[in-house]
Amino acid sequence: MKRQTDYGYEIKNVYTPADIPNFSYEQDLGDPGVFPYTRGYYPQGYRSRMWTQRMTAGLGTSHEANQVLKKYRDMGQTGGMCVISDRVFSSCIDPDHPLGEKEAGILGWPGSSLLEFEELMEDIPLTGQSITLLGSCAPSPLRLAYVVALAGKRGIDISQVHGSVMESPFENYFGQTDVSPFDQNLKLFLDACEYVLRNKIRMRACIISQHFQESGGNNAQAIAIEMSMLKEICGRLVNERGLDFDDVSNLPYELVSVGTRFFEEVAKIRALRRMWARLVREEFKSDKCHLLITVHTSGRTMTYQQPLNNIARCAIQTLAGVVSGCSALDNATFDNAHSEPSNLAARMSLNTQHIVAYESGAADVVDPLAGSYFVESLTNKIEEEAYKIYNEIQSQGGMIAALKKGYIQEMLSNEASKRFREIDAKERLVVGVNHLIIPPEEDFQIPIKEVHANDSRAIAERMAAWKQTRDQGALTAAIRTLYGGAKKDDRFNLMPSIIDAVSVYATVGEVIGVIRKARGISYDPFNIIECPFELV
Amino acid sequence: MSEQKIKVIITMVGLDGHTTGAEVISRVLRDAGMEVVYLGVNQTPGMIVNAAIQEDVDIIGISAHASNYSLIEDVISLLRGSGVHDVPIVVGGNVPRHTITDLKAKGIAEVFAPGATGDEIINYIRANARAQNERAA
Repeated sequence: MKRQTDYGYEIKNVYTPADIPNFSYEQDLGDPGVFPYTRGYYPQGYRSRMWTQRMTAGLGTSHEANQVLKKYRDMGQTGGMCVISDRVFSSCIDPDHPLGEKEAGILGWPGSSLLEFEELMEDIPLTGQSITLLGSCAPSPLRLAYVVALAGKRGIDISQVHGSVMESPFENYFGQTDVSPFDQNLKLFLDACEYVLRNKIRMRACIISQHFQESGGNNAQAIAIEMSMLKEICGRLVNERGLDFDDVSNLPYELVSVGTRFFEEVAKIRALRRMWARLVREEFKSDKCHLLITVHTSGRTMTYQQPLNNIARCAIQTLAGVVSGCSALDNATFDNAHSEPSNLAARMSLNTQHIVAYESGAADVVDPLAGSYFVESLTNKIEEEAYKIYNEIQSQGGMIAALKKGYIQEMLSNEASKRFREIDAKERLVVGVNHLIIPPEEDFQIPIKEVHANDSRAIAERMAAWKQTRDQGALTAAIRTLYGGAKKDDRFNLMPSIIDAVSVYATVGEVIGVIRKARGISYDPFNIIECPFELV
Repeated sequence: MSEQKIKVIITMVGLDGHTTGAEVISRVLRDAGMEVVYLGVNQTPGMIVNAAIQEDVDIIGISAHASNYSLIEDVISLLRGSGVHDVPIVVGGNVPRHTITDLKAKGIAEVFAPGATGDEIINYIRANARAQNERAA
């Protein structure tokens, strides 16, 4: 069995002061709330603000997802909601598209129009809790438009709404695939970010390492990638969109994948804060470096075999996330390798957070592992390894250039294969998978939540019929304005016309379809349906 | 006479983008000396079956990340409907146990759940891929 970090650093049997030579409290750590923020951004830690305890929802129809969100609120999740999109919305086609009707509402919320968002949010407040809508990058401007439009309809000042609804174009390379071209995704993502910042909306944008790591990347790679993505996106907003970095610094939202190797995970997040603080000073000449760091306990570590064992893994990971000082935490559930969360599994995961919050004492003190020879040494080590990778990416011209060269993809693919081989060869032990295996017939039976093809068809049929009931005149006019704007220079911000179109119930397939057409590619990314509008 | 390599399609189906499993297995099979045609994301059942016929493969491997099962059933019926009966279809992914039973009843030869080792998959394919001498000239 290997005694190594996931990035290959050999762990010693004991750590002493000799392992952190030249250690300087002020330079390396600083008090909580003080540069370089290794110990966190808030002097009072969770005493001043408890982390947002939440579960991800989204499955079946919007009505069903609404019921789940209400159920989560009853379970004590009132600080924020988090909904993940289905594959159809993520792919920017409508449920009544020939490919959509097979997968609508599967593995997520079928949010293809403002109607769906209205149904999702029925009797649920837009303010007083963070609104997080996840999915792929391409529909980001739609998700933002839904929030702006619904706030308008409810008469809510948009500046009172906070959360995160945009996702960076990089996620497309890390399993959150959509079929939109990278340059289009980047343009629309920057449009949405710019709109949020210029209108002082407290919406964050996902520029996150979680998908990279869940796709097989290691801890050092994950924070190197995170630094590279942040530098690229923030740099473009400053240089191409003319925004002030101090405003841009309010944007990034980092979702970190946290696994079971407790101390290494804590070290990773401490190093991440320190590296970003230093990068902001060096690159952007600013001290505004508070990254919103949220934790997703790793779905990848949730085993198919003996699923109840995952409750123990989830508890260790939750504690790691809390000890490292996160702003929000959502758990993978013990049935993660089988299905979307059942009510039982969701309650179990939320209660895991509540137990850590109220019973363990871990929330009472800020950065409790500071000064541990082992943890400080690991924090230094991962930073050192991450800088090597970060510097290589920079020498290739930055994140986008490195992706275009295939460097990032190759690194991820090699690492995922290495990980598989390590488990195959029992160099890494996973209880119930390659160690202490039991026959399947002796395994625990857990309830499985399922969505069937019939449910997808029902969502598709409803949409096809509903589309006919819209105000066709207003819709066509909004679509034509959007089309005209989309033919302009990439820096012409399309967000206002997207919000107008969404407000008269243009769907994701229609909005992204006409933008595609204006950019000289097919309306339908799959080349099956034609554009239903006459565009002039 | 050198033995022909076993030729395998590894593919995603539908809109699923969780490609890690498919990419890792493609590499494992290539390292084991097989010829792998990796189709990638956004493959419809029709595209998979056309590729299987055109590439004249010996076995089809579909990566599934929960709930895409009706699309997998479509691949079976399209392939058999095209008169191809000797090319087995296998599935890999986090498929619930009762769904494994259903898929096997509908004609999926084997389902590899998470935790299946590289050797298990390689050995299964060597033993069950369309026999080399049945291959079209």
